[in-house]
Amino acid sequence: MFETGTMVGLMSEMLRLASSNRVEIPLVEPFLEMLPPPLSDLAVLPLWKPLFAALVVPGFATLGLLLLLLPWIERKLCARIQWRVGPKEIVSWLGGIIQLLADSLRFLFQEVIVNRDARRPYFVQFVLLSFIPALLPILFVAAGTIIAIRTEYSVHMMLALVCLFPVFILGMGWSSGNRFAFVGTVREAFMYFAYEVPLIFSVIAMVLIFGTGDPIKIMETGKLGIVLNPLAAFTFLIATAMATSRLPFEIPEADQELAFGPFIEYSGIAFGLAYVLAYEKLYVLSALFTTLFLGGGSGPAIPPLGELSGALWFLLKTLVVMIVFASLRAIYPRFRIDQALRAGWSSILAISLLAIVISAAEVMLWA
Amino acid sequence: MVAERAKDRNIRIVQHGVFAPLRRWGTRWSLWPVHFVTSCCGVELAHSGACGYDMERLGALNYGIARQSNFIIIEGTITRKMARALRLVYEQMPDPKFVMLIGACGERGGIFWNSYNITLPHEIVPVDFFIPGCPVTPEGLIRGIRAVQEKIEGRGRTTIEFKRAELPKEEGEPRLVPSSPKYLATTPTIRVDIPGEGELPERLKPLAEEEGIRVTVTGKNRVAIRTAAERLEEVAKRLKELGFDHVKSVNIIDVPHERRMIIEYVISSYSVRELMPVLVTLFAYVPRAEPGLRSLKHVWDSADYCERELQDLFGVRFEGNPWQRRFILAPEVEAPLRKDFKLAEESYVLGEAPLAPKIEYPPEPLSYYLPVPDEVFEEATRNDEFILPIGPHHTGSGHLRVILRVKGDIIVDAIPDPGYVHRSMEKLAETKLYVQNIPLFERLSIADPININLGYVRTLELALGVEPPERAKLIRTMLAELSRVGAFLYDAGIFSLFTGHSTGFMYTFSIREMLLEIFVRATGSRCTPSYIIPGGVRWDVSDDVLKFARNFTSAALRRLSKFESIFVNNPVLMERTKGVGVLTKEQAVDTGIVGPFLRASGVEYDVRIVEPYEAYADFDWDVPVADDGDCLARFLLRLEEVRQSLNIVRQAVEALERTRGPVIAEEVLGEFKDAPDIRGIFFRTLGNLVLPRGEFTCLTEAARGTLLFTVLSDGESNVPYRVRVVTPSWMNLRGFMESVKGQRLADFWAIYGSFGYFPPEADR
Repeated sequence: MFETGTMVGLMSEMLRLASSNRVEIPLVEPFLEMLPPPLSDLAVLPLWKPLFAALVVPGFATLGLLLLLLPWIERKLCARIQWRVGPKEIVSWLGGIIQLLADSLRFLFQEVIVNRDARRPYFVQFVLLSFIPALLPILFVAAGTIIAIRTEYSVHMMLALVCLFPVFILGMGWSSGNRFAFVGTVREAFMYFAYEVPLIFSVIAMVLIFGTGDPIKIMETGKLGIVLNPLAAFTFLIATAMATSRLPFEIPEADQELAFGPFIEYSGIAFGLAYVLAYEKLYVLSALFTTLFLGGGSGPAIPPLGELSGALWFLLKTLVVMIVFASLRAIYPRFRIDQALRAGWSSILAISLLAIVISAAEVMLWA
Repeated sequence: MVAERAKDRNIRIVQHGVFAPLRRWGTRWSLWPVHFVTSCCGVELAHSGACGYDMERLGALNYGIARQSNFIIIEGTITRKMARALRLVYEQMPDPKFVMLIGACGERGGIFWNSYNITLPHEIVPVDFFIPGCPVTPEGLIRGIRAVQEKIEGRGRTTIEFKRAELPKEEGEPRLVPSSPKYLATTPTIRVDIPGEGELPERLKPLAEEEGIRVTVTGKNRVAIRTAAERLEEVAKRLKELGFDHVKSVNIIDVPHERRMIIEYVISSYSVRELMPVLVTLFAYVPRAEPGLRSLKHVWDSADYCERELQDLFGVRFEGNPWQRRFILAPEVEAPLRKDFKLAEESYVLGEAPLAPKIEYPPEPLSYYLPVPDEVFEEATRNDEFILPIGPHHTGSGHLRVILRVKGDIIVDAIPDPGYVHRSMEKLAETKLYVQNIPLFERLSIADPININLGYVRTLELALGVEPPERAKLIRTMLAELSRVGAFLYDAGIFSLFTGHSTGFMYTFSIREMLLEIFVRATGSRCTPSYIIPGGVRWDVSDDVLKFARNFTSAALRRLSKFESIFVNNPVLMERTKGVGVLTKEQAVDTGIVGPFLRASGVEYDVRIVEPYEAYADFDWDVPVADDGDCLARFLLRLEEVRQSLNIVRQAVEALERTRGPVIAEEVLGEFKDAPDIRGIFFRTLGNLVLPRGEFTCLTEAARGTLLFTVLSDGESNVPYRVRVVTPSWMNLRGFMESVKGQRLADFWAIYGSFGYFPPEADR
């Protein structure tokens, strides 16, 4: 049992901590001051930077919004390229922007079937566990200067967690007990080998140049990674397309061939979760791309937004990267697994090695 | 009945519970139809999904997998084989799930009402909404989705009361009713070898002088060779040495009053140029009680699948054919094409009799049989192979099942299991008047309706000796070429979808939409015009339509160039298709593939050149031929063919603008010779058509290759005694399965797309 004094002391200690490291948003300051005393102190708590980063930007809320918007953007964009309209009638005047809300509600209320041949505990667990590698990297994403955990190794941590992804997808495919899921799982494993090494190499190349893995420091250098090392950017983009199963590398899922491969047996909300996995991964990798190659949250500051302006620029850049990936769906057919593997192990690997060489040369030149 | 019990259960699910409003709203706007193309209405479904109609506007995203969708659109006929798949897919889907049925044949059988192989889908799964039409238009389909949405909201009408309309009885001639052939036991009523005009080809002359082989010339370039069943193999081998290298059709005629069957092989040549137009019908009699003979598969590989099919249809045994199991029929139907297997007869009076034949439904999903012997599974396990059954419900298989044996990523063997859309056209044709069969056969391939229509009508004209007038020929040529373009656009769309490129699908279907507009303006129907009739066409086309057609040719070319830039010139597509699924010239001839796919392997055979019909000889056009025989060659060749077709259309339009005249032959009009067209007098002139006795075989170059119609008439009935249809897709199946072997798993879909395999056309 705590004494009251200790509780108050703890509370005030927490508030002190929160206000010492809070997100500065001039726009909301007047509103905070208008609040009565106990509330105005407590209102600081959600603005505590690590919490704000995890819950609002670039964390949970942003992710949720993006997950609802990005598939819609993708469907709408592909529809425009394909001379049609895409989702619309649901709210006609907004162009059907809440289409994904309807889809997710439908998935939420649909029956979840665990098929007879599935390995039941794993089948259910893997789809939930897969949120660990999906959500943890977001703690290391810096939206401008807003970051949950700031270390020298943020970039490394993000990469390491992202590379955990395929393990869970393999588990999902294996536990489904379906022939197509099996083929899809094997393909996923092969693709993993094809893209992982170039992905890591291209990140290493950038970390070499910047000399740090801290996203805020990288941003503060004021250098655009894509100009410093375009080859690394190129390999990173290709590896991202492979890692997130975007066309032309949508090989493990291949809905015309394998009917969504590893996810074939998932239904209802379980599929809803599996369906957004690829988008979450896309978000993390796009954020990493923005951090490393597009200067993170750098951009003209908007004074009333304070620290949020950096976050805004960061999100805009990330969104653009994601839209580029989304539009690939309408442009490319699908490669075959052996072609993707050959590309991954030969040309892309070579280019990523070259990118490291370039980085090393640049570092030596400047040193 | 399962379906009765489950009626409206899913509607109740969405309308109950605390979250009912959210649940209803979410379900309503997220009806994802599972990709379950069951029959020919699937073409219209594709149009509804493509630009122009765009089902996705309503949130209905056409989706591949049963587990993740909540909406089945049953497109027309559900055959006995497909009924099992339908049940299984329905059971696989999570609740709540909805079913919409489009097309007349799903409701009460439609044009196939008396078929032995169709079922009534609403007795298999509960259906939420019906849309009539044959086929339905995309507008109708989208209206149906709207109606299901309203039903989910609880606003739709739950019941519909039908009113019985009393129509005034018109006095006049009694309507014609098809009459069954009379089985007269005296003289042979069915004769295959009735002599006709024409010359015996030089090469066949030595054969004619031999003992025990009777050679009859039955018409121009048509020869019948009769021999004993025991000598069939020997004669076949000699014919092969003479250069007859492939089978165009294998046919059986059941003659119960003579207690025997006639087995005939229609053969021709791809390798010897002067034999190309010659069709030899090699036939023999076998006893009806125990019909069987040596398979000619080892002589002509192309006979293989036809023999397998006839084993099912007639209960005949081809000894030596490797397949001695069910091929296209479900296990519960026995030898339906024999004459003693009676169907309900067509009539025009609603009687007490049930509208559809009695159907036994598969009791439990466990009885979904796989037509593969257990040994295949055992052998595959021994050889460390993996068996992957694809279809009939699969995003990339249409309504065909292929059992792939895969070692690593390489396909070792492909075993086809067709027949999921077998609507028994050949048997149904025997219960319908000759002219009623025109719309029936059109349903073979509503992606390519005019050519099928033309093929059947040309056979009738061949029998009747009627020549259509000049203007009718031009109109037919123009529409046939447009239909060829339409079929290519359909296949190209499916091809791009199978390679994962949905934009290609949308682009081609947008062109197809314009093309269907021409069909609507000229013939009155999008997909099933039934426009060509014996002796001409139904009515003249107006100058407006001609102008529209000419504008279409340039608009189509412009849009095709966009399609090319995004799809055909895509580096990924090149990687995927170049050198994939190669059929060499020898293989192509052996497997008997037809049409553009044959020409892609370097054989210069086109019925339009070999035996020119209609107005093709008057126009200036080329037949493209390629040598590679791979997916890319097959696709690009058809693309080039489309350019040639548009070229022909343009020339035909010019010629049509110059010429004026009747569009129907005088012989057909008879006493109504002053009539401008057939409207109003159709049944009085053509209803009681009776063909002269004999067998008439006619070849037509349909969009996907040579279409063969054999009509056999007993000379006294107003229905055919037997109609044999061999469609291009059916002949291409063998080559398709051959070219898959040794390729990688993902190549299966590229090859599938490149062959333009259309199951309703193949299964008949």
